[in-house]
Amino acid sequence: MSAIPTTRPSLAPRNKARRNLISLTPLIDVVFILLVFFMLASSFLEWRSISLDAPKKTAAAPSLERAVLVEVRDDGLRLGGEMMSIDRVVQRAAAALQKKPDRPVLIRPDDEVPVQDVVMVLDALSAGGVANLSLIRRKP
Amino acid sequence: MNRSMRATGGRRTNDDDRILPLINVVFLLLIFFMLAGHLAATDPFHVEPPVSASETEPGDMGHVILVGTDGRVAFDGQVIDDAGLKAALAGAAEAGVSDFRLKADSTAPAVRLVEIMELMRAAGVEKVHVLTVPKAL
Repeated sequence: MSAIPTTRPSLAPRNKARRNLISLTPLIDVVFILLVFFMLASSFLEWRSISLDAPKKTAAAPSLERAVLVEVRDDGLRLGGEMMSIDRVVQRAAAALQKKPDRPVLIRPDDEVPVQDVVMVLDALSAGGVANLSLIRRKP
Repeated sequence: MNRSMRATGGRRTNDDDRILPLINVVFLLLIFFMLAGHLAATDPFHVEPPVSASETEPGDMGHVILVGTDGRVAFDGQVIDDAGLKAALAGAAEAGVSDFRLKADSTAPAVRLVEIMELMRAAGVEKVHVLTVPKAL
């Protein structure tokens, strides 16, 4: 033991004979396998969710009349037949809901619009205080 | 210099001493992955969830409907067609389940999502939860 230089801090001043009794190699094998398993099997995604009302197929006409319809197109957003920015859409929808809070807001994506664009619109509308959101599609 | 770098500093250095730091690191990594990640069943096809600013936690995952980028659908890990989904939804609704999560790829057509929501509605589901991930920092 005196061969160990005293200037270097040693974390494990242990008995050498005892240490050799157990070889660490099998332990490392197992730990490595566990590590690889956990690295491959773990998922680090933190899920969030957006709640929507499922679109009504029947009796849509009366609810459509009083609904706010936002169209999501390739080239932008349309509300009431007018192209406008997302901020403007949120403003208009919030204003429309102030008069009648139970009015549903319907979002109608065009054929080629990806889910991400729709989620962005949903996000903006939820942040603007719209609760009654639903997705619909053009009748085939 | 070289001698002082050794774990025991002597000629009797054994292999265990040299790999001790390695084991320390591997143990730390193992503990990190065990605690920080959570185990989840692998999806039958790759789905890149959309990014949103929503702060709502989805709660219990329950039944998950997957929608792939090409419009493929899987229900609870099984790839099925629309008729199969309709039957599965009806079966689940009969069993009293009304809680479904919709995990759609961010590049999938949104119209496809609406089609699936209509199927859910037809099966008596009123609320749909679309799963998203928060924006990366």
